[in-house]
Amino acid sequence: MSNPCYGRKRGYSRRAVLAQVGLGGVAATLGQLRGVRHAFAQDDGRPWYFLDDAEARWLAAACDTLIPEDEYPSASQAGVVDFIDFQLASDYGAGAGLYMDGPHQSGTPEQGYQFAFPPSDLFRNAIDALLQDDPPLTELDAEGRHEALRGLSESEDNLTDDIPAQAFFTELRTLTNQGYFADPIHLGNHDYAGWQMVGFPGAHAYYLSTVDDHNRHHPAPPMGVAHDRSGGSSLPRLIERGE
Amino acid sequence: MADYILPKTDVVIVGGGWTGLTTAYELAREGQRCVVLERGRDRHTATSFAGPEEHDELKYALHHAHMMELRKETLTFRNTRDQRALPMRRLGSFLPGSGLGGAGIHWNGQLWRPLPSDLEMRSHYADRYGADFIPDELSIQDWGVSYDELEPHLEFFERICGTAGTAGNLDGEPREGGNRHEGPRASGYPNPPMKQPIATTLFGEAAARLGMSPFPMPSANVTQAYENPYGAQLHPCTYCGFCERFGCGYHAKADPIICVYDRIKDHENFEIRCDSQVLRVEKASDGKTATGVTYLDKSGVEYFQPADIVCLNAYALWNVHLMLVSGLGEPYDPETRSGVVGRNYSYQTIAAVDVFLDDEIVTNPFMGAGALGVAVDDFNGDNFDHSDLGFLGGGYIACTQYHGRPISYQPVPEGTPAWGAEWKKAVRDNYLHHTGIVVHGSSAATPDNYLDLDPTWKDAYGRPLLRMTFDFPQNDRKMSDYVLQRAVEIAEEMDHVRSISTINRAAQDSRYSLVPYQTTHNAGGAVIGTDPRTSVVNRYGQMWDHHNVFVFGACLFPQNLGYNPTGPLMGLAYWTLHHLKSDYLSNPRPLMDA
Repeated sequence: MSNPCYGRKRGYSRRAVLAQVGLGGVAATLGQLRGVRHAFAQDDGRPWYFLDDAEARWLAAACDTLIPEDEYPSASQAGVVDFIDFQLASDYGAGAGLYMDGPHQSGTPEQGYQFAFPPSDLFRNAIDALLQDDPPLTELDAEGRHEALRGLSESEDNLTDDIPAQAFFTELRTLTNQGYFADPIHLGNHDYAGWQMVGFPGAHAYYLSTVDDHNRHHPAPPMGVAHDRSGGSSLPRLIERGE
Repeated sequence: MADYILPKTDVVIVGGGWTGLTTAYELAREGQRCVVLERGRDRHTATSFAGPEEHDELKYALHHAHMMELRKETLTFRNTRDQRALPMRRLGSFLPGSGLGGAGIHWNGQLWRPLPSDLEMRSHYADRYGADFIPDELSIQDWGVSYDELEPHLEFFERICGTAGTAGNLDGEPREGGNRHEGPRASGYPNPPMKQPIATTLFGEAAARLGMSPFPMPSANVTQAYENPYGAQLHPCTYCGFCERFGCGYHAKADPIICVYDRIKDHENFEIRCDSQVLRVEKASDGKTATGVTYLDKSGVEYFQPADIVCLNAYALWNVHLMLVSGLGEPYDPETRSGVVGRNYSYQTIAAVDVFLDDEIVTNPFMGAGALGVAVDDFNGDNFDHSDLGFLGGGYIACTQYHGRPISYQPVPEGTPAWGAEWKKAVRDNYLHHTGIVVHGSSAATPDNYLDLDPTWKDAYGRPLLRMTFDFPQNDRKMSDYVLQRAVEIAEEMDHVRSISTINRAAQDSRYSLVPYQTTHNAGGAVIGTDPRTSVVNRYGQMWDHHNVFVFGACLFPQNLGYNPTGPLMGLAYWTLHHLKSDYLSNPRPLMDA
């Protein structure tokens, strides 16, 4: 199959993901990357905060199906798996903003989140269930992954006793989207992939003299909270396809 | 029993937002010792909300860093009484604030006045269309206070905020470019209207061609350097696009910290205690007054703060909750339709049109402000003939440009898949070529929409959660559908339009949902009026049952109007404070006979 993870287009590091690259390939790739700023970023052995390797591989396959590569990076190329890993390890994953007192029971769609567990458990248990699929998502080609995720999004079934497939899919899609477009300080949107794509200039925002200058796109390149022209986030981790 | 009993103060104020800090300002300067108890943390506009750190969409807009913490307090929700209400475990439909300044920190700054007829809703419709016109399912009523009585107070708050806009009715004199439907105003807006981007300009041109009267949305995003009547300095808005859900570190969006708190914080009669959670209002044995409030500090120590006057200035929902857990006023019973606390809870009825423009138009959606927009009021309130429509109420239609924050702002045409390559391309292709039109509709009260206490779930302080029972009444569904069609007509008339799509939160086949954000405009539950059988407070905002308890905020609205609530509720606040200062303080008593 073609290897999607090399080179740089339009200034994005195409460090990669979900590809059968051996160490030689990685080293060769890194050599081509002008954007490598952190020595740390070259350490392919960086541990995940929350995920294990199998979960990370599943997420890379799923997220890249939701946001595939085109002229702009795929989700995992933009660091979305790193983003989700960090989210699951921190307040979002722990349900810090949620009211979690029992008793718990399932409600109507209008009543919203009623799980007895926080989002980190939702992801872990749902992905672990989905890893039992045969063949697993990671082994499917692009079309197969698309069909698998369409099935997940439309399924009326539960993944586990207490996780409806659609509820997990909605949360997964939300986090993937956030990871592609949130400020790079949260580890996704690497090199401003998402912001470059739509033309959003970022956090340094002052448009008093341009708001009524009609029909002229604001030329400023994106700049995030970290005040770094290339986003300030470390390179996405390398995720190899196989064991 | 409280751990400590504190020295008595003249006035204790529950909540440090717009109404609470204003109450403290006005009464402290009248010689009253005021103690403000704020459940959230101390924070300040200058240091807490400075860009670029503040401009983090994930942290503030989506993870709600400025909002209330549900782990401490939340509510349970159901659409109808035959369902079991379940806890609101995650914020969604509305976003109450917490911390100094309250929700006044993260509002948009859309600062409207009520229509004169809004304040006399039942009698106005009965007079114009006959009493039979009012649908039986509705429990709408008059406010008991008229537009003319509120006008000086509405005007004063517009000056506190340095409001930007164009007057449409100056003392009965129509003015070109303003809202010709508004009630007569004694003076124009203190600042000129905001600059308009291309999309809102196209909307205004289309509405004018259809014979409507477009005008710039009245805005508390200030348009030039300005000093308010309290001496606060406000700066011109930068159109940064981080307004609603964010504090404004530019000092350009009027907020309660800059506009009020900074001007009173050093006064000898003013004291604020943050991280102070009021648990209940204590009642006197005479049954006619309250004695003060019991609250917890951050370390869990419980205090009783005695006071001569208790002012309830929490967010609408939590004022009602505090009354219910304190046994203040008679709780509403939907079975017998008796009692008042929790009665006539209402919301806001929201619909929208997405307008996709051709590539000649570059909208730059990220150049935005919370109150940046062009509106028409031709289908709000009773500004249009309802004779044959079968509903009452209405809403304003506005083309707005709040922000282009890229997680939340991903407009794609109808029929686009929700993910995948085609979706990704559509996001890219439409981001700079889209605008939105909102239909901001009224919410009529019904006997079945109400607030009470939940029998099962408790908050972090052991109190029963508030229980909300709400769905959109048929009246509002019809209203929303009708006004949305008018908005579609304007969209279709706009130049450069490729396609449009609509969304209606109150569509016929849907139910009100707690999940998608709609507005933080919860209203009613402790309503104002002239009859103690149908109102919690009299027309001065004073509780019928306990004359030294005064109530503030949108919980007073007998039903919600088609406007954002901050203008009307602050008009009411200054009206109440005027009567407190000029009448009650010198002779504390019920200001109206029950």
